[in-house]
Amino acid sequence: MTNKEKYKQAFLALHPSGDISMEVERMAMMSRKAKLRAAAAAVTACLLVAVGGGMAYAADVGGIQRTVQLWINGEMTNAEISFDGEGNYVLSYLREDGSVGERGGGGVAYDKDGERPLTESELLEELNSPEVVYEDDGTVWVYYYDQKIEITDRFEDGVCYVEISENGEPLYMTVKYQDGYGISPHKYLSPESFN
Amino acid sequence: MRRSVQELFEEYQNNLYAAAFNVCRNAEDAKDVVQDTFIQYYSFKKEFDSEQHLRAWLMRVAINKAKNVNRTFWRRNKRSLEDYMETLVFETPQSEELFETVMGLPEKYRIVIHLFYYEDYSVHEIGDILKISDSNVKVRLSRGRSLLKERLQEEWDDDE
Repeated sequence: MTNKEKYKQAFLALHPSGDISMEVERMAMMSRKAKLRAAAAAVTACLLVAVGGGMAYAADVGGIQRTVQLWINGEMTNAEISFDGEGNYVLSYLREDGSVGERGGGGVAYDKDGERPLTESELLEELNSPEVVYEDDGTVWVYYYDQKIEITDRFEDGVCYVEISENGEPLYMTVKYQDGYGISPHKYLSPESFN
Repeated sequence: MRRSVQELFEEYQNNLYAAAFNVCRNAEDAKDVVQDTFIQYYSFKKEFDSEQHLRAWLMRVAINKAKNVNRTFWRRNKRSLEDYMETLVFETPQSEELFETVMGLPEKYRIVIHLFYYEDYSVHEIGDILKISDSNVKVRLSRGRSLLKERLQEEWDDDE
């Protein structure tokens, strides 16, 4: 047997459990509903206005759903966010070209009582973290609130250092190419200290 | 070109799952990654030049999402690789050893090895998916192979 044949035989043992398909269909359906809601909102825009970063409750679709304002790709954007109560969220928003963008995430935290799902406020806080985006054309961007910084050519040995700030508070970012980033309000973290 | 999510799901779910698992080494996380990848495909409405382009895009998105899972300090799913491996059925003990050895490689070698040996991608195609240079792919492939050879001895040939 060649190495390729051996490798393929070994990895044939891997296959996902059978319920992904249903979940994808459910999420796709949710996305379709979000699109319809977004289209309706374009006509009656006042329905989706959130005040000063606060939240307005909207109709429920499979969880607690709210309208929030947050920075997405450097633009203040109205988005609908749904929480499932288990530390996960799905966010949908209308892009400039009229299409619906969607992203999701979630997580757990560890405290003295062990593991617990992140709360909604912790998840909302996480949404305003800096974001590193690797575009299909090979460019790399950092988005943070209204800032959009191209860092494509700033990597040396796969690491890039960027200073960003919000309300005069600096944040030092160490970005490892395609391998996450670390942030600190005090200094640049060494690439070895995270991931 | 666009294809239905269902069609793509049937065709690529196993490949995307294997690639995601290769990066995050966790079954539940890999499953979430596959799910999120298809949802991104559904939401993104991107047009593709060819089937090859589409497949490479799905693979890139899945790998990047799996890397994002790895960078998150709160990992959602904590089942260990050892526990999961006990549920897998390998055709031969050699297959199990190879699988375990690959999983023990550093991530940057692991994924390049996987795309080459499992997905049959060329060096250039791997560079395109991972957004690294061809020479970087060659270096990682070569170091990954050396580590496999060192650990698997005669179970891993010198062929490419």
